[in-house]
Order: sequence, then C-alpha cells, then structure tokens
Amino acid sequence: MNFSDIEPFMLRAFAVAVVMGPLCALLGVFVTARRMAFFSDTIAHGALAGIALGFLLGFEDPTWPMVLFSLLVAAAILWLKEHTELLTDTIMALLLSGSVAFGIIVLSLLKNRRGELHRYLFGDILSVGPDDVWLAVVLCGAIGVWLFVKVSPLALLTASEDLAHVCGVRTRWLNYAFVLVLTVVVSLSIRLLGIILVTSLVVIPPAAARNLARNLRQQIILSLIIGLFGGAAGTVASYHWDIPCGPAIVMVCIGVFIISLVVGKLWVNRPAQEKAA
Amino acid sequence: MSVRDLRVTLGGQAILRGVNLHLHRGQLVALIGPNGSGKTTLLRAMVGLQKPDSGEVKLFGESNLKKALPRVGYVPQRLALDRSFILSVREFLALRLRETQHWFWHRHRDTDDRLRAAMAELGAESLLDRPIAALSGGQLQRVLIIFALLKQPDLLLLDEPTAGVDTPGEQDFYETIAEVHRRHKLTVVLVSHDLSMVYRHASWVYALNGVVCCEGTPEHVMNADSLKEAYGLNVTPYHHHGHSHGPGVTH
Ligand SMILES: Nc1ncnc2c1ncn2[C@@H]1O[C@H](COP(=O)(O)OP(=O)(O)OP(=O)(O)O)[C@@H](O)[C@H]1O
Ligand SMILES: [Mg+2]
Repeated sequence: MNFSDIEPFMLRAFAVAVVMGPLCALLGVFVTARRMAFFSDTIAHGALAGIALGFLLGFEDPTWPMVLFSLLVAAAILWLKEHTELLTDTIMALLLSGSVAFGIIVLSLLKNRRGELHRYLFGDILSVGPDDVWLAVVLCGAIGVWLFVKVSPLALLTASEDLAHVCGVRTRWLNYAFVLVLTVVVSLSIRLLGIILVTSLVVIPPAAARNLARNLRQQIILSLIIGLFGGAAGTVASYHWDIPCGPAIVMVCIGVFIISLVVGKLWVNRPAQEKAA
Repeated sequence: MSVRDLRVTLGGQAILRGVNLHLHRGQLVALIGPNGSGKTTLLRAMVGLQKPDSGEVKLFGESNLKKALPRVGYVPQRLALDRSFILSVREFLALRLRETQHWFWHRHRDTDDRLRAAMAELGAESLLDRPIAALSGGQLQRVLIIFALLKQPDLLLLDEPTAGVDTPGEQDFYETIAEVHRRHKLTVVLVSHDLSMVYRHASWVYALNGVVCCEGTPEHVMNADSLKEAYGLNVTPYHHHGHSHGPGVTH
C-alpha cells in the first residue's frame, strides 16, 4: 500500500484516532473507577446544544461553542449536585435530555443545517480538518503530560477523597481539573466518534484492561495499548471496508473486550483462585 | 496541639457545641462517648475534612492545617472503597511514601523493602499484592493503620482503628503503637469503644457528648458517675482479678 494513495482525510482521521484513543483510555481508567461514565455521556450530549448554538450564532466551525457548552453542562452538574438534594443520575439525565432536545430543535429550525445532526450524532471523519489534527495533538499532548504527572494524586483521590486530603492533595481543585480535562477530551473526540459513541472510547479500553490487570499500573498500561490499537485498527478497518469510522473503532474495542473477558476468566483469575484454595 | 471552642453543625443539628482539647506531646489520648456524640466529626474537623462554624484547631501550634497535615497520620472510621478500583495494597502504600514522585514507572527496591517491613509489623505481608478493594474489613483496617504510620507522623488520629480487627491483630496494633511511641515521641488521639483497652493504654481520656463532659486520667474518668454523665446510662466499672482493670457497660 502506498501512503500517497490514501486520501488526506483518512490520514487525518488516523492521526486523531491514535492520539485520542490512548488519551481517552487513560482518562477512562479513572472515569470508570470513579463511576463517571454517565457523566462523560452527559457532557457529550451537552455538546449537541453547543453545536446548535454555534451554528445559530453563525460559526462555521462550532468546535469552541461545543467545548464551552460541554463545560457549562459539567459545571451545571457539579453545581446542582452541591446545592440541591437531587441524586447525581437524576441531574445528569435531566441535563442530557435537555441539551439534546434543545440541540435538535435549534438544528431543525436552521434549514441549511439539518444534515449536521446526523454528522455529530454518529461522527464523520470527513469533518476532521487539518486544524483539528493540530488542536488534537497539541491539546492531547498537554493533557497527557498533565495526567502522567497527576497519576498518583488521582489514584489516591479515586481510592478515598478523605485520605487524599489528609495526604495533602488539593482534592477540590483536582476534582475540577479532572472534570475540565475530561470535558475537553470528550468534546474533541466527538468529531471522530459521534456524540452517541464517544463514551465507549472512555469506557471500553479500561474495562477490557480491568479484566486482565492485577494492579493499577497494569490496568493503565493495558488500557493505553488497547486504546491505541482500537483507534488505529478501527480507522484502518473503516478505510478498508468503507464503513463508518466511529463504529469501526468501537467494534474493535468491543472485540478486544470480549477476548480480554475470556482470557481473564481462563488464565488471569485462575492462579489466584488456586492460590486461595 | 489544641482545639478551642469548636462548633460544628451538620444537617441543622449542632453536633459539636464548643469543644476544647489540649494535647501534649507524647500523650496517648482516648476519646470516648456514645454513638453519634461527635467523635468522628471532631477528628474530621481536626484534619480539615469538616469545616467548623467557629472555633479553632491548632496542630503543632500552627493554625494553618495545610502546613501541619504532612506530620499527621489519620485512620478514618469507615473507608468506602469501590470494588471496581484495582489499586493494589503495594501501590496504595507507595502513594503515601512518594506521592509526588512516580511510583508508577520505577519500583524502587528501598520503597519495596520499607513497605514489606511495615506490613510485617502488623502481620500483613501476604496482602501486598491484593487489590485494596478486595480486602476484608479487618485486613483493610490493618492496611490503613500502616498507611497512617508510614511517614512517621508526629500526630496520629485514629477513629476506631481496630474495629473489625481480630484479637491478635489488635494486640499487634497496640504493640506497634507502643513501639513507634518509644522510637519517636508521637501524640495519639484514639477513638475507641473498648473501655478496657482505653483504660490500659491511654494516659488521658476525654468523654465527649457534643461537649467534653469530663476529662482526666483513665482512673478519674472511668468511674460510674462520669461515665453516666457521658453515656446517659448505667455504666459500672468492673475489676477483673487478673490483668484487666477496665470498666464494663451494662445496658
Ligand atoms: N454528613 C452529615 N450530615 C448530617 N448529620 C451528620 C453527618 N455526619 C454525621 N452526622 C450526625 O452527627 C452526629 C455525630 O456523628 P459522628 O459520626 O461524629 O458520631 P460518632 O461519635 O463518631 O459516633 P460513632 O460512635 O457511631 O462512630 C450524628 O448524630 C450524625 O447523625
Ligand atoms: Mg465515629
């Protein structure tokens, strides 16, 4: 295969996938352990309202309104959680459906933007422009470095906020920073995977890694590898068989998950049980 | 170390209504009181986990808790751990030893040795590679005690640390505390419902029930009158023939 034969949009999609895949997977280790999968889903759906608003305000490229609105939704979740007696999933379900309804209404009113709904819900690699690649690489590089520096405090925070506080972690600040990073990464991955599927990239690689790992370090490393593989193999498969890219990435990850489940049940857990017996 | 006129309201209820404590270096202070009397709330306020309405906490003469915290070890009463989080005991303890450095990339031999030695002291080496979320209640409690002791704190706040720990474990625990105490003159605040343990080990006792009802040496506090005042029920001091001189509680 000659690289120059491959359409540039395909290369761009590939580049974004191999950057976003591992990053989402790394974040996902903490997202899943902290039970924030639904949170991530909510901010992804919140992006739809941001996209619609962006078009309404005349933006050609609604990336910034999308990120900003997702952040607004995240802030709203945190605020409502602290200042009302409502349960967290109630708050999130409320905001999720609210932003989707708002987004759909606005997009349907903008006559020339009706096609965008499908595009953002399911992802469209054709819409990944050269600027998006740079944005993804720079931002994700920075976030990746930050995450690595903060792995220890984050792990402690995940185990117990109280202990983390006593050990000198600024828990409040770290919680907000984590939400900020998650929101930015999730909303930037929407181009590739679509609003509906984006959470899978955060959830499936860590879940698959969890099946095989015996400690956190192993889970993080495996999750990174699976995220990278899922992103790369998914884009290649999508090119080869001419299928949509986001779903292809998700199916690769699901495949890895199933294998990890079987391998984990057969091999990894076996010796531990025998030892215990 | 001191707590001055501390007041805490939770859910519209005044839980601590002006608590005063004075701790001297090297003391083992016991905090007793009935369920819901605010012992946990008091310890949480002392490490800044609970914002007081008024009053002041000074640790090592420092009212900025952030600065004092590195010298404090804390064992919470209950630690809710999520089973899905796979952090191993080794990793958990390493987080305490080198929280700013990267436990993640290199496994230092000296860290490993230190962890193993600490675990051995409480008879828990075999737990090193188990996920913390998969430990039994008593095993977790042992690990938390080790976690609190790892950095050789000057002040140790223990909220029913041996709840759920078996008798040999409890003995190991008190021996470890005594040993650490010998090596390193630390101050211990211990919440316990085990009055005979308190009687045997504490050098000073505070009986708490929203306020400090009485304080003094174990002999002074552990008589029927002051316990009745604290617990509001009939508590009779009993005297065993042999080793133990603790009071018992009769309902
Ligand atoms: N987050 C909270 N919101 C409202 N009330 C609370 C909260 N936490 C504790 N309380 C109340 O504060 C009171 C004191 O609780 P605390 O946990 O300090 O008691 P305790 O002395 O440690 O009891 P125990 O011996 O059972 O551990 C209880 O009546 C409890 O109901
Ligand atoms: Mg308590």
